[in-house]
Amino acid sequence: MRGRRAALRLAPLAGLLAAALVAVLIPGAAQAQEAVRPYGDFPVIGARGAIWISAQVHLMFAAFVLGVPMFAVVVEAIGIFGGDRRYDKLAREFTRLLLIAYSATAIWGAILTFALSSLYPRFWSYLTVIFGPSMWVYAGLFIVESFTLYLYYYGWDRWSAGRAKLGHLGLGVLLNIWGTIVMFIANGWLTYMMSPPADVTADTAPETVQLWSALFNATWMPINIHRLIANVVFGGAIVGMYAAYRFLAARTDEERAHYDWMGYVGNFIAIGALIVLPFAGYYLGREIYEFNQTMGITMMGGFMSWLWIIQAFLIGVLFLAGNYYLWTGMGRIPGAERFTPYVKWMLLVLVIGVIVWATPHTMIASREEIAAMGGTHHPFLGVLGVMSAKNTAVNLMILTTFLSFLLYRRANKEPVVPWAKTGTLVQGAALGLSAAVVLFYGVYGYFVTAIVRIGFSVYQVLAVLAAMVFVIVLDIAMMRGARSRGAIRWGRMPARSQYALFILAVTFTWLMGLMGFARSGIRQHWHVYEVIRDTSPQASTPALGPAATMISVCVLIFLGLVAVIFWLGGLVEKPAHKRDGGLVVAGLPAAGPSGSGS
Amino acid sequence: MWRTNLSVAFVVIGTLAVYTAVANIIPQVESEVPTELSLGADVTADELVAAGGELYSGAGGCTACHGLGTRAPDVVGVVGRVCAERKPELDCKAYLYESLIDPGAYVVEGFQPIMPDMRRTLSSQQIWATVAFLQSQGGEVTVTAADIGAAENAAEQDGSAGAAPPGAAGSGFATHPSDPAGLLQEAACTACHVLDGVGGPIGPPFDGMGELGADYIRRSILYPAADTAQGYEALAGTMPATFGGQLSAIQLEAIVQFLAERP
Repeated sequence: MRGRRAALRLAPLAGLLAAALVAVLIPGAAQAQEAVRPYGDFPVIGARGAIWISAQVHLMFAAFVLGVPMFAVVVEAIGIFGGDRRYDKLAREFTRLLLIAYSATAIWGAILTFALSSLYPRFWSYLTVIFGPSMWVYAGLFIVESFTLYLYYYGWDRWSAGRAKLGHLGLGVLLNIWGTIVMFIANGWLTYMMSPPADVTADTAPETVQLWSALFNATWMPINIHRLIANVVFGGAIVGMYAAYRFLAARTDEERAHYDWMGYVGNFIAIGALIVLPFAGYYLGREIYEFNQTMGITMMGGFMSWLWIIQAFLIGVLFLAGNYYLWTGMGRIPGAERFTPYVKWMLLVLVIGVIVWATPHTMIASREEIAAMGGTHHPFLGVLGVMSAKNTAVNLMILTTFLSFLLYRRANKEPVVPWAKTGTLVQGAALGLSAAVVLFYGVYGYFVTAIVRIGFSVYQVLAVLAAMVFVIVLDIAMMRGARSRGAIRWGRMPARSQYALFILAVTFTWLMGLMGFARSGIRQHWHVYEVIRDTSPQASTPALGPAATMISVCVLIFLGLVAVIFWLGGLVEKPAHKRDGGLVVAGLPAAGPSGSGS
Repeated sequence: MWRTNLSVAFVVIGTLAVYTAVANIIPQVESEVPTELSLGADVTADELVAAGGELYSGAGGCTACHGLGTRAPDVVGVVGRVCAERKPELDCKAYLYESLIDPGAYVVEGFQPIMPDMRRTLSSQQIWATVAFLQSQGGEVTVTAADIGAAENAAEQDGSAGAAPPGAAGSGFATHPSDPAGLLQEAACTACHVLDGVGGPIGPPFDGMGELGADYIRRSILYPAADTAQGYEALAGTMPATFGGQLSAIQLEAIVQFLAERP
């Protein structure tokens, strides 16, 4: 066991060292080759395919090792300040998986570096000339981050109480800080390719490009924020998937109850963060338009226009699966049956919302298609496909999902404060008012110019956010000291509900690949947009079909490796099972769900 | 346990299969790389229009906005008729060229100034081919190889990389247009023509050719059989008709100007 742990400890560092050596040694070699070999080749899938897979799988693991620590530290904090040991156990269980995931991240990072330096030597050389110093900082921080992770995990028992426990939580926070800085640095490299500073042109020598201006480019901060939130979503989804598998494979009620609860927490965090993600997406989209209108149009209305229909379809699946899981989960909560009649109406709103959101509008159409439609837009669907309708649909879907959480949260509680009835009415009014504001601006948007209509989306978003904050604050106050209608029967979930968690995780992962394609693809045939042209044989950007196939391959590789990681994590537990006959996670006493929390 | 594993694998792979299938069923639009053009000095209007049409509907990215009726004016079948009326001081060709390289100079009423300077992504040849295609949409195509040559000359003189981006027009000769005498040497013209007292006697001497005028010289290079110089009737047909395809437009114009200025 010690040998395996030692190997796990060393693997990320070995991978990192190899990548760092390549980063340092290859530029010189690449410069020497510049005149003869700008591109290399890779068998069967080609150079671009090799880069695509290695970059995408590396990014998925990177999201895993950035998202799960956020999840772990928040859960540990809830355990410390809420006094519930289950949360501490949950945080530790996932930190253990992180050790192996770090190795996978470093290995795929090294593969990506080797692939870049051998398949795109000239371009790689260009990047290292500009970003060389930041690459060293990145490598150094990765080592510090890894060491912090080891301290965080192996110090769990030693620093388990009192001030030492708070210090341990501090290590978790530090782990997240290092990880976030590492991500921000890497984001600087990739966003430079999208939005280089205005003074960098095709004639600019890379030696003259200022590192800071290259890093802090137009889309750097929007991508940072978007990825930060998306990593939380991803971490929650992966936790949910892990819990779902363990739930289905559980042999005891205690085990089933634990993983049922874990799945709920994962889903709660994933969907909760997902609700905020579209706002970060709007910010990123706006900055892309600000940087270069053509790039924005290419993204939203050019050859990528159909991509957003697929995205709407996927997000629709996420909303439906997330809500389905919640509604099914209400079956294990005494008192939840009083909310059952509302479910069909919420489902109706969600389904209509998905249909509207996924309605095409301004698409590139052939002359035959235009003739068949009788114009550039479909006579009926064209009305639904505009932003007024789509923004309205999305905001109502968010409100509906929030309502699902609210009903779930209140299912087994009965408020005892004297103003409970008034409070509930006020909550209903706030949600109703928010929906009315969303609908009003949605309809009004059809009667104003585009520039005015764009501004309406801000009012709609603010109305929804304000209502959610107001209602939840009121709910917390109202439910203080609430009477319980009965304990949640953790573990009493139908197996089909767990498959919703799998669909959520697969969809999040696939969506990440799709958005990666969108972000990278809008550069089209440029390595660095309008600065360095891609002159390789694979310079054209593929259509959505081939891209989707590639994304699915990446997701399969990633999920396959994650399954191995989960299996390895399970190996550590097995001796404990045998010893105690129950679920014991290394170093912690057996502790099942208390049964009353939510 | 195996049943659980199989059902999980089925759900995961099934979900991926559905997403992949949906993405493959919808219309497939690929972002093409603008094909480098190598238009010779004898390029015809039809060739220009065909090249421009491909750029318009493909790699040029024009259809992302034009043709939808919302972002930019429709041009197909229309713009060739109205282009001459947009700006009184510009004829159709000049207006269309300006709209591609300086789109903010005139914005059609009711639309936003979102059109980019196409020199950032297209070469001079590609831009002129696009102008020819736009002219063909209801109007007469007046773009010629001379327009391309003049634009590339101007770009050379003012050093604007945008008008002739990397990878612009290739040619059969490596000599830069700024050295027309060198070009004549590289093309082995002096094997038959005398330049500065040196050369063969098979064709009329370059020395003193200026009096024939630029149009005559250009025509003689592109279509050697069109005219036969006095005193050289017995050697008619010796001059190869391939130079129009080998010289780039800018090289051809450089030679024409060089010879036309020779006393």
